[in-house]
Amino acid sequence: MILEAKDLNYYYQDGESRRYILKDTNATFEKGKFYTILGQSGSGKTSFLALLSALDSPQSGAIMFSGKDIKQIGYDKYRRNNVGIIFQSYNLIPALTAVENVLVPMSITENEIPEDKKTVAYNLLDYIGIVKSKADRLVNKLSGGEQQRVAIARALATNVELILADEPTGNLDEEMEQEIIDIFKKLAHEHQKCVIVVTHSNEIAQQSDQTFHLKKGVLSSHE
Amino acid sequence: MNFFKRAILSITRKKGKSIILLAVIFILGNLISGAISIQQATGNVETTIKEKLGTAATVELDYEAIEKMDESEMMELEIEELDLELIKQIGELSYVKYYDFSTSTYLGSETIKSYQGEGMEEEEVMYEGPSMDFMLKGINHAPIIDLEEEKGKLVDGRVFTPEEVENGAPVAVISKKLAELNNLHVGDNFTLINEVYSFDESNGEDKLVTSRDLVLEVIGLFEPKAVKNDAEESEEGMYDFMDIEYQNTIYVANEVVSSEMRYNMEEYMKVDEEMAAAMGEEEITDYYTPLFVLNKPEDTEAFEEEVQPLLPQYYKVTNASDQYDSIAAPVESMSKLSGYVLLVAVIATILIIGLVVLLFLRDRKRELGIYLSLGERRSRVVGQIVIEVMIVAVIGISLSLFSGNLLAQSVSDTMIDAEAEKQNSEEEMYYSELQTDVTTDDVLESYKVELDPGYVGIFYLVGLLTILVSTIIPLIYIVRLNPKKIMM
Repeated sequence: MILEAKDLNYYYQDGESRRYILKDTNATFEKGKFYTILGQSGSGKTSFLALLSALDSPQSGAIMFSGKDIKQIGYDKYRRNNVGIIFQSYNLIPALTAVENVLVPMSITENEIPEDKKTVAYNLLDYIGIVKSKADRLVNKLSGGEQQRVAIARALATNVELILADEPTGNLDEEMEQEIIDIFKKLAHEHQKCVIVVTHSNEIAQQSDQTFHLKKGVLSSHE
Repeated sequence: MNFFKRAILSITRKKGKSIILLAVIFILGNLISGAISIQQATGNVETTIKEKLGTAATVELDYEAIEKMDESEMMELEIEELDLELIKQIGELSYVKYYDFSTSTYLGSETIKSYQGEGMEEEEVMYEGPSMDFMLKGINHAPIIDLEEEKGKLVDGRVFTPEEVENGAPVAVISKKLAELNNLHVGDNFTLINEVYSFDESNGEDKLVTSRDLVLEVIGLFEPKAVKNDAEESEEGMYDFMDIEYQNTIYVANEVVSSEMRYNMEEYMKVDEEMAAAMGEEEITDYYTPLFVLNKPEDTEAFEEEVQPLLPQYYKVTNASDQYDSIAAPVESMSKLSGYVLLVAVIATILIIGLVVLLFLRDRKRELGIYLSLGERRSRVVGQIVIEVMIVAVIGISLSLFSGNLLAQSVSDTMIDAEAEKQNSEEEMYYSELQTDVTTDDVLESYKVELDPGYVGIFYLVGLLTILVSTIIPLIYIVRLNPKKIMM
C-alpha cells in the first residue's frame, strides 16, 4: 500500500450548517495499479484528488503516504518528491518549450535525478510520444493531446511512484483519450506506478483495475 | 531549470513585457539620476566654497536684531563696547588657531600716489575735501593674519616684530603695486598726511583745520594672492573696487592707527565746542574689530556656542562660512528643487513599478500556481520574480545613469543661466570684516555635474533599492496564492 485515505472529512461551513464533500472517507491505493475515481460533476471527486495531492487539506482525518502522514512530510515537500499531478487543462508554462517544462520539476525535487537532465527529459518525452523536434517547441505550439503528453512526462520527471490525474482526457477527442489511458495503464502495469485518475467517463473507469464511486460525499469501491 | 534560469528565460521569451518594464524603469530612473546628479553637484559646491571661505570668525553687532527693534526699544538702546580683554579671552579658546584685533582709518598723502586700477596710472583723480586714499589697517598679530590666511603673500622684506607691534613703531607693509607706482623699496620712507577738517554749515564745505605728517618706513611688500586677470571680470565694478582698496591698504601696528585717530579727534574737538562739551571728560576709546582663525571648519559651531554667552548684548558671532548661504543662493535653490524631485521620483517609482509588477503577476497567476503545485518553495518563486525585475532594473538604471546625467547637465545649465542673469541684476551684500572675493560667479563656476564614482554608487543604491521596495509590495500577492484555486 502506497497511499491511504483515513477517515477523511472535508466540508464547507455554511453558517451553522456544514455541507460535506467527503464524509468519513476511507480508501487504500497500491503500486502497480490503475485506479479511477468516478462521479458526476460536483460529486467531490476533484476535491478528493486535491486532498490526495496535498493541494488542499482535510478538516479531519489523514492521508498516509508509505505509512507516513503527508502533513508530517509537509505538503510542499510531498508534492515536490512523492507525487506527480496531471491537470485537465494541462497547466504547462507557455513561455517554455516542452522539454523545458519537463526540466522544471527536476530542478525543484530533492529526489535523485541523473546528471544529464536534458537527455532524461527528451527520453521521457519520446517514451510518451513527443519527438525531439516537437520537444523543442514552445508548448502553446503543440496540440491538446501533445500538451497533455508533455504534462504526463512532467509528472514522471521526478521519478515518483504516485501519479494523480484530474480529468486528464477532458479536453481531448476519443482517439487521443484512448492513447492517454493506454499510457496510464502502461505506467501502472509495466512501471509499477500507482496511477489514480479522476473521471466522469464510464469507459475509462471500465479500463481501470479498481474504480471508486463518489456520490453525495460517500466513497464506494468496485474491483 | 532552476529559478534563476527560469527568470532569464522569462525575460527573453516575454520581450514585450520586459521592454515595457524597461521603459518605465528607464524613464523613472532618469528622474532619480538627474535629481541625484544635481544633489551631488550642489553638495560638492558647498564643500569647495566653504573651503574657499576659510575658517575665519568675528564678533560684530547684530544689525538684523537691531533693525527689528521698534522705536521705543531703539530709544533705550545702549550698546556696550567690545572689551579688548574679552577679545583676548576668546582668542585663547582651544578652537582658535590665531587671532587678531584691528582698528583702521583712512589717510591721504601729498607725496605718494594711490593705485587706481590697471591703466589708470596717468589719470589724475581730482576732488575736494579730505584725502582718504590709503587705508591704514592696524594689526596686533605680528605675522599679519591676512598674509597667513593667504589673502595676500609677502613678496619682499618682512612682516612686523612683536616689539614693533607693541611699541607702535612707524613701520609699514604695503602692496607691491603701490610701491612700484611710487618707486618705493623696502627700507624707504614715505609720508602720509592726517588732515583735520571741520564742516562749515554756512556754505556746506569742509574746511582744513590742521594736519600732521606720518612718516612710515617700508619693511615689506605684499601682493594679493587671488589676482584675477580675466579682462571680462575686471570690468565688473565690485571686483575692481575691492582690489583697488586692498592695493591701497597699508599695514601698521594698531598703536599707529590709534595715535592718528586720537590726534584727529582731539584737534577736531578744539574747533567743535559743542561736541567737546558733549564728550566732557570721557576718554577717546579705540574700537577694535576682532578676527579669529579657527583650527578647522567643523569647529565653527562649537566656537559660536561657546562664545555667544560671553558677548555683550546685541553682539553676535559671524563666521566666514555664513556667507555661503548668501552667495550660494542659486545653487541652494537647485539643491532644494532636486531634493523634491528625488522624493517625488522615488515615491512615483515605488507606486508605478509596484503597479506594473502587480499587473504582470496577475497575468502570470497560472504560471506561479504551477510552480507551487510542483512543490516549489514560495521563497524561490518570489526570488524568481525579484531576479526578473532586478535584471531589467539594472539595465534600465544603467541606461538612465548616463541619460539622467546629461539631463541634469542641461537642466542645470538652463537654471544656472537664469540664476546668473537674476544675480547680476541684484545688489550684492558683503560682510565688513569677513569680506571675501568668493562671489556667486565662483559658486556657479564650481558647480559641475559629473559622473563620479560617488554619484554612480549612490544612484545604483537609491535606484535599485527603490525598485526592490516597489517589487516587494506586489510579492505579497504570490505569498497568498492558493495553487488549488488556480489549478483545479
